Amino acid sequence: MIKRVHHVGVVVRDMEQAMRFWRDTLGLHVHKLETIEEQGVKAALLTLGDSEIELLEPVVTDNGVARYLESKGEGLHHICFEVDDVERDLGALRQKQVELIDQVTRIGLAGRICFLHPRAMGGALVELCQPLDEPSEEPAHA
Amino acid sequence: MPNFTLDHVIIAVRDLDAASADYEALLGREPSWRGSHPQYGTKNRLFRIENTYVELLALADDEKKRGRWSGPLKNFLEEGEGLYGLALGTKSIDAAVRELRDTGLPVQDPAPGEGLDWMTGARRTWRNAAVVGKESRGVRLLFIEHGWGTSTLPMAEPNAAEGACVTRMDHAVVLSPDMEASRKLWGTQIGARLALDRTFPERDRRILFFRLGDITVEISGGAEQTEEGLGKPDRLWGLAWGVGDLRATVERLRAAGVDVSDARPGIKPGTLVATVKGEHTHGVPTLLIEHTPESFRAESRAPQGRAYDNSAPRRAFAALGLDHVSVVTEDAAAAAETWRATLGLAPGDAAEPPGVAVRLVDVPAGNAFVQIAQALSPDHRVARWVAERGPGMYGIAIEVDDIDAAVRDLRGKGIYVSDPEYGVIPGTRVARIAREAANGVQVELVQRLPEVL
Repeated sequence: MIKRVHHVGVVVRDMEQAMRFWRDTLGLHVHKLETIEEQGVKAALLTLGDSEIELLEPVVTDNGVARYLESKGEGLHHICFEVDDVERDLGALRQKQVELIDQVTRIGLAGRICFLHPRAMGGALVELCQPLDEPSEEPAHA
Repeated sequence: MPNFTLDHVIIAVRDLDAASADYEALLGREPSWRGSHPQYGTKNRLFRIENTYVELLALADDEKKRGRWSGPLKNFLEEGEGLYGLALGTKSIDAAVRELRDTGLPVQDPAPGEGLDWMTGARRTWRNAAVVGKESRGVRLLFIEHGWGTSTLPMAEPNAAEGACVTRMDHAVVLSPDMEASRKLWGTQIGARLALDRTFPERDRRILFFRLGDITVEISGGAEQTEEGLGKPDRLWGLAWGVGDLRATVERLRAAGVDVSDARPGIKPGTLVATVKGEHTHGVPTLLIEHTPESFRAESRAPQGRAYDNSAPRRAFAALGLDHVSVVTEDAAAAAETWRATLGLAPGDAAEPPGVAVRLVDVPAGNAFVQIAQALSPDHRVARWVAERGPGMYGIAIEVDDIDAAVRDLRGKGIYVSDPEYGVIPGTRVARIAREAANGVQVELVQRLPEVL
């Protein structure tokens, strides 16, 4: 059950340069900025009302974000919906034979997450997330 | 300054029984109170709803019993029926009067009052104080503290199905020829929270929203202050009532012979509104408003909910929230079905706004919505995008509080932004930021214009 748009993900080439627009020009508050080694990205979360902008800069060359940047350039990458129960929703998607990137949930920046395959959503990359009850200081290592 | 509530609104009527019958129909409720004011020479009917009560006030039948309130009421009624005054509630009238006087507002000494319900024999007491003379700018203002230990006013029992009766007051409208004077009265002296001060040159309107509890007092005037308006009094004008189910309410009212418009989408997203016409309102311009459950934006997201204090240093504009996320497709109907079937989101109807070769389907998702866009012409930028990059994620719309200020500010920082124009979504103005400036994201700024009665 979808509750809200948790964030939209934007792939950027250079985090510092991107900050000049999203933080300095639009005035959005950066509430998290970290490099997640496991995922090979530097990520920043900026508050936008009751949603967020997630800026993603690849720090390796062989992950999805890097490949996106390589093939399409910078741009809007994904939309993430907050759900009540990501396990249950992923199970329902599997049952409907929806094409998935993640067959099982995993821990990401937004909590427990999974990605649908863009082919399942007409080219749009959709992430579902269930924020953790007690936000982990280091979700990447949980 | 005490936090005043809008305790009640007073409507002056000539024939109390006739007016009561009309408001019983309009509100879908029986009166909470059928009373008289022995010392004022007036009689009334009260209807308590969730967040305030409405008082229909008429002269007592016996002229000899008419007391200190009856003169002004008689004069008012000679001009016609209509909104007569606002009573602002406080927990301590003595403290309120002291503080109001400290701001330079002349207020009477608090005086005790009592009302008797002739049907139940119940007695209610209060202490109140009115603003003296012309200092409340033509709007009768009363401050009131209800008495302890006497009867409280019961809720007005519905006489109609749930959803089809009025549940709360949404806002009251004051017309002002001298906006700065009104702003001083409501903001500085009464101390109501200013939630919005916005000018709409294209509609020749400036609007101030002041909050009293969860009720808005909307002060409405011209976009430009005119010389002849300075010092002229305000006019307490109209009311907007909240209902649970507007279409059911409209149907019920029509069955009761009340002249009411069709329900139509309000300017504020997620609302439906209908106008009550004719004599049933007794001189009060009346709007019914429903905040629809499928409203895809929480009340707190609405622009008027974002209070700002003009005296505090602030940015040129504020980004209030994510308005929507655009995805582009070659087949909007098929895409809408995918979003429904896969994610369980309920798409709205497809729309083809005039003048733009695009088909749009909005998919509400809680705090924002997904907008599915399909170009209907190969020249449309969406068609070119799909041809180049394929269908999928396209852009985002960010709601701002002041789009003109935002465009000026961004241009001042060297960013290319289109001129603000009316958006395809009714009640919006939008401007697009060059994609190169926003890391390849199509960013649209959008300002939602508030509902105007």
